[in-house]
Amino acid sequence: MRFITMDVTKCVVCRNCEYACSFRQAGDFDRDHSNIRVEYYDDVKICLPQTCMHCDNAWCLEICPAAAIIRNETTGAIEIISERCVGCEMCILACPFGNIHFDKINLVSRKCNLCEGEPNCVSFCISGALQYIEAENSYKNNRIIFQRFIDKLSQNNNK
Amino acid sequence: MRIIIIGNSAAGLGGLEAFRETDRDSSVTVITRESKQPYSRVLLPYYLRKKVPYENLFIRDKTYYSRLNAKCVTGEVLQLQPEQQTILLEDGSKLSYDRLLIATGSSPVTPPIPGLSGNDIFHLWSLQDAADLMVHFQKGKDVVILGSGFVSLQGAWAALSRGLNVSIIELMDRIMPSALDESTAGILTDQIRKSGINLRLGTVTEQVEQTDNGKLLLHFRDGNSLITDFIIVGTGVQPNISFIRGCGINIDAGIVVDRQMRSNLPGIYAAGDVAQVPSALGGDPVIHALWPTAVETGRIAGSCMAGEKVSYQGSLNMNVTRMFNTTVASMGKFIAAENRECWTDKSLPEDQSLKIMLEEDVPVGAVCIGSSDLVSTLGMLRPLIRGKVSLRGKPEMLKAILAKNIAQYHRAFGKEY
Repeated sequence: MRFITMDVTKCVVCRNCEYACSFRQAGDFDRDHSNIRVEYYDDVKICLPQTCMHCDNAWCLEICPAAAIIRNETTGAIEIISERCVGCEMCILACPFGNIHFDKINLVSRKCNLCEGEPNCVSFCISGALQYIEAENSYKNNRIIFQRFIDKLSQNNNK
Repeated sequence: MRIIIIGNSAAGLGGLEAFRETDRDSSVTVITRESKQPYSRVLLPYYLRKKVPYENLFIRDKTYYSRLNAKCVTGEVLQLQPEQQTILLEDGSKLSYDRLLIATGSSPVTPPIPGLSGNDIFHLWSLQDAADLMVHFQKGKDVVILGSGFVSLQGAWAALSRGLNVSIIELMDRIMPSALDESTAGILTDQIRKSGINLRLGTVTEQVEQTDNGKLLLHFRDGNSLITDFIIVGTGVQPNISFIRGCGINIDAGIVVDRQMRSNLPGIYAAGDVAQVPSALGGDPVIHALWPTAVETGRIAGSCMAGEKVSYQGSLNMNVTRMFNTTVASMGKFIAAENRECWTDKSLPEDQSLKIMLEEDVPVGAVCIGSSDLVSTLGMLRPLIRGKVSLRGKPEMLKAILAKNIAQYHRAFGKEY
């Protein structure tokens, strides 16, 4: 399956991706309506674009008490069925990356659905930070790799 | 192998699904005393609020059991006979197992108040409860809710949204003691009162009386009384373990299990609200009685029953809900204590709050009220609490620290960790 890269060394925080997403998903240009979010952190000099990684064994999908989160068999995207979502926000608490947002108008959770396989954010990225690539071994085992990452942080801690 | 799973809610389903990821062939029988088609208790208040239709309460489709090559039967388990490896059902039938998962969940408790039973007195726990309550959820009716935990407040909000006159009676002098700290509970209390609910704290109900005109009259210790059309009792739950008492299984508050969800008896596992499991934060084993813990422990049990070598990291309590036009969430140890540092977000307006508790730089819990962005922050903190990763820095650096972690993770993607 294909995934969207989020290259922190290339992103320039132009926020084109946010507008592209908002326009595609909500028909307007409101950052609040975008499923991808970009932040610049001055203290640590980081440009960070963030959108869903469509994890294998996704935390959000596993935990949703309304069975409102499914995997799209065609694109592989983890999607929220808004008609089933009750807006309890459990998925927002479950995502360790902060990639699920709340739709304040319809009072349901909202996230990236890979635009049916043609992500609009990628089309409008000017720096190459976002690319829609085949990435079998890395993103696929996101949950396992993330656990290793946390374990490593934890070890560094105790040094 | 013959597998029996008792219960088909979060833990039972998690158990079945994880078991089938490894073992496609063993015979599996799921026993339920409620609907064969699995439903979600969490959704019942949303159904009463009419946010979701009845059919959306069901969280697996009708072909679910056949797809998973499992049989589902309806029945009440009377007795567990570990020596014979059998269970006895109410209709007299006996079923044999090689491995058994007890995922019987919990049931609401009724406080010992004289008169608190009979007509027009309900819990909000089962599909049947919700169906019974739906009849009474009519605009203009009066409802009293006893207790102020998650279920009670969700029920109160549903009733308010449907145009009922709602009173909440809480024994303690504050709401939600197991899910919020005092000041956060205070903010929510204000929101609840502003919404038009009559919320009475520190109020002891002494007696409930059926009146001649078909109403209920509550007498309080302070001498006041309140008349209402119906009552919802939401004063906590207890594990469903009556059928296994005295069979030799180790019970404390619930069935005591190890990190593989094994009880002390061979071949018998437990998960969900009925199981007392290791805590993510160390200390004594816990029953959090929460949906996420039920899913996690059910999945661990299922994998282990199928022979996988997995181990539970421990339950980390996490609560979140949106009600009264705000969102509250908490996890871990969220109450201030002498050995804990508390980071607060001072940039938030008065009706919002975010607090993070740390012990020697390591986050151990957090609690928030306000926008869903705060819940996102809690989500990003959660793995750091579980992993005991320190947050070196100052409170105002929190977002930058979390971002630095994520950026570091993205950089490492695809590389071997």
